[in-house]
Amino acid sequence: MSLLTTIVFVPLIGAIVTALLPKARTDLPKKVALGFGLVDLALAVMLLVRFDVGAVGMQFTERLNWIPEAGIQYFLGVDGISVPLLALSTLLTVLAILASWKIEKRTVLYFTMIQLLAVGMNGVFVALDFVLFYVFWELVLVPMYFLIAVWGGPRREYASIKFFLYTLFGSVFMLVGILALYLHPAGGTFDMIELAARGGSLPTNFQWWVFGAFFLGFAVKVPVFPFHTWLPDAHVEAPTAGSVLLAGIMLKMGTYGFVRISLPMLPDAAASDFWTWTIGVLAAISIVYGAAVAFAQTDMKKLVAYSSVSHMGFVMLGIASGTVAGINGAVVVMVAHGIITGLMFLLVGMVYERTHTRKIADVSGLSSGVPVAGGLLAFASFASLGLPGLAGFPGEFLTLLGAWESDLSRGIVIVSALGVLLAAAYMLWLVQRVVMGEASPIVAKITDLNAREIAIVVPLVALTFGIGLYWSSLLRYVDPAVKAMLTGMGAI
Amino acid sequence: MEGYWQLLPELIVIGIAITALFGDLIPGKDRGTALLGAAASTIAAVVVLFWGTAEPLFGGMVVADETARFIRIAVAGLTAVWLLWLAGRDMAGERRREAVALALFSSAGGMILAMSADLIMLYMALELSTMPAYVLMGYKRSDIDGLEGALKYFLLSMLTSLVMLYGLSFIYGLSGTTAYSGISLADTGALGIAAAALVMVGLFAKMSAAPFHYWAPDAYAGAPASSVAFVSTVPKISGMAAIVRLVAIMAPDLGSLGILLGAGAVLSMVLGNLAALPQSDLRRLMAYSGVAHTGYLLLALTAGTEIGYGAVLFYVVAYAAPSMAIMLVSAEEGSSLTDFAGLAARRPVVAWAMVVWLLSLIGIPPFAGFFGKLYLFGAAIDGALVWQTVLAIVMSVVSAGYYFRVIREIFFGDAPESPAEVERSIPASAALALCVLATVAIGLGASPLMQALGFSFP
Repeated sequence: MSLLTTIVFVPLIGAIVTALLPKARTDLPKKVALGFGLVDLALAVMLLVRFDVGAVGMQFTERLNWIPEAGIQYFLGVDGISVPLLALSTLLTVLAILASWKIEKRTVLYFTMIQLLAVGMNGVFVALDFVLFYVFWELVLVPMYFLIAVWGGPRREYASIKFFLYTLFGSVFMLVGILALYLHPAGGTFDMIELAARGGSLPTNFQWWVFGAFFLGFAVKVPVFPFHTWLPDAHVEAPTAGSVLLAGIMLKMGTYGFVRISLPMLPDAAASDFWTWTIGVLAAISIVYGAAVAFAQTDMKKLVAYSSVSHMGFVMLGIASGTVAGINGAVVVMVAHGIITGLMFLLVGMVYERTHTRKIADVSGLSSGVPVAGGLLAFASFASLGLPGLAGFPGEFLTLLGAWESDLSRGIVIVSALGVLLAAAYMLWLVQRVVMGEASPIVAKITDLNAREIAIVVPLVALTFGIGLYWSSLLRYVDPAVKAMLTGMGAI
Repeated sequence: MEGYWQLLPELIVIGIAITALFGDLIPGKDRGTALLGAAASTIAAVVVLFWGTAEPLFGGMVVADETARFIRIAVAGLTAVWLLWLAGRDMAGERRREAVALALFSSAGGMILAMSADLIMLYMALELSTMPAYVLMGYKRSDIDGLEGALKYFLLSMLTSLVMLYGLSFIYGLSGTTAYSGISLADTGALGIAAAALVMVGLFAKMSAAPFHYWAPDAYAGAPASSVAFVSTVPKISGMAAIVRLVAIMAPDLGSLGILLGAGAVLSMVLGNLAALPQSDLRRLMAYSGVAHTGYLLLALTAGTEIGYGAVLFYVVAYAAPSMAIMLVSAEEGSSLTDFAGLAARRPVVAWAMVVWLLSLIGIPPFAGFFGKLYLFGAAIDGALVWQTVLAIVMSVVSAGYYFRVIREIFFGDAPESPAEVERSIPASAALALCVLATVAIGLGASPLMQALGFSFP
């Protein structure tokens, strides 16, 4: 049995089974979805274990002709960059299903959509044919649209269509880039590995334009300032599970695109002053702007959403640096941010389920009212602000280190480093307002987390410690792949 | 003599069309006639599929090549789907027997048009495929708006047909022959391009390409949605095939033909998409979006390459199946967008089918429309039409804006107090199921289709 195909399509089978369940049994869909999700997670863990850490190049590759008339293949494979992201995707899917346990509205549709989303997310990280990649890339849009539009907050219709149109707008430019590479005589294939190998032979001017097309596609997804405006709306209106998957996985698809596509396939453009400066400056702006706007938020979910803009800025900074440390750091931040922000959104969602408010002013003194929830939220905040020893620290440290070593202006690095301070400030302020102090009237009436909820967050807490203390275990996967990529680019 | 059996499928279709005129004598009347027509069309499609291709007939006036085979199957197949649907559903409260005959005549015209390799043949087949369409558009006799729309369509179509005929006469004068193989417009200067422009006027109007699209929204909005389902799709497939053949012989001689096509493409994409945005009647919305899709098709034609021609033929079929299906559902549910409100609760399967068709029209993978657009835009980029392609993809995103209004209405609209009661009908459901199957299969299984078309990309 081909492992990657199985990991990608187990959720599809789950979705089909779920869709066929009788509507009257509202309790069945979540159980079915959880079952398939756990199988998928187990397979992903098996992949992590069987993955040959030291080896260079793609592993577990599968290749079939799909549409030979157009050179389109069904081509899958993973390397050290995609394996952690794939595993994270299966883990967060399981947690998102668990976090949706109390959903009562149209459960069949809900869990069908979550599983379809999982197919797209898993697929993006393993597809090595450009058309297949695009298919998975777009596949996530439709379920996410429905998740926001059916189960979202009061402004769900606006937020869902805005999300769809914005990200579609970005991805169609990516399609132009894909076609341009395919039709160029020096490109001439949809095979992403082959394209990465041929990347250097493309004319620099051509690379520059194609880089721009991909930049639009990925920057909207990440999102980089000024393409971020869809994100707060989508996050605030999305149900908890939607926010977790959106922030945890879907944003990473954008930065993964930069690492897997833009850098290796268009090395000269990636090294050009214009694009390193553009990405570097936008990264610094995203970091500081996201943090500054997070300060001003009165809604917890919006605060976490803007903090995501800030953290994803570090990923972009690492990508702009083009150094081993920077890109290693970028991938580590991708994984760490998926874990920490997933945790944040889950906790905010759990508090919201009880208080029916996300207003910071209404929720205070969690630690005296509901100590477990309060403590976990404080923990997540510390992780998010980059406390050494927790997962938020190593990645941001490495991206700053890489950016300092690189040709990027020191000014950009210094401004970005300010973002770390700002993150500490707004997160600690959040802790002070929400966790500390007297329990507000609303908080005094609520109950603490139950066993299911604690079970959801425990894996993320453990991973936050794990990556924070033993980040070398994550770098064992990432580092060889990054080095191989940069060697291929001629950068080291 | 053997080669003339190539025309057997057309003979079957015409034979049954004539039979359908005596529908009163057929058991089952309306339903029986429609089923007979559907069966005839299916047989015709199957015969084309297995008969393959042949040498040119009638001194080269008719060419049954791979392109023709592909288009004939598509035309006959889609006509069969439409007739199957008709067997189960009412059509604007009128007798349906004549509609069966009209559709079959139009279908036969389309199949012949796909094989036409001569100016006279082109004109005759084009008229045969559109004449019955005028009647179908005005099928509801008591409806003044419908008749007005149909009359508008008829007058504009006749006018542009004559303009085209005028252009054809110049081409004949310049090359001394009506056979495509003998047409040569090299070094004909302004007269050659003028002749081509006149011909394009006629074909643009039939394809509802801007700036000759004005008849479409009014005609569609006045006509029964079931008529629109047929008229907006089947004649478009064969018409596009005719344009592809003509452009393929004229483009190498006339450098400036690309400017005409390119201008039509850009105008159609922009006008069609922007005008579709505010529409509240699904027929009007589909009329304008049809203009936009014609624009995408013309864009790939502008490239003037083999990839472009293949992409056009692929896309027009990928466009037609979901487009017909959406209008068929509109014929069942009502043509105002608000008629679709709450469809997800009333008929969930049809609601999800609508999502598949609409996503395909936007160009979301893995459906037919995505691969169609991939090839169209690829052909355009290959032909160095970069800014036009960027415009086209931006316009695709705009189209998502109005297609999603339909999806929103289906899932989140407030259901009307007395929604249309749609009875269960096996033939109609089967027809819609075939359209879903086609939309998915043309996407995931593009490979065999491309083999049939002899099309590879690039």
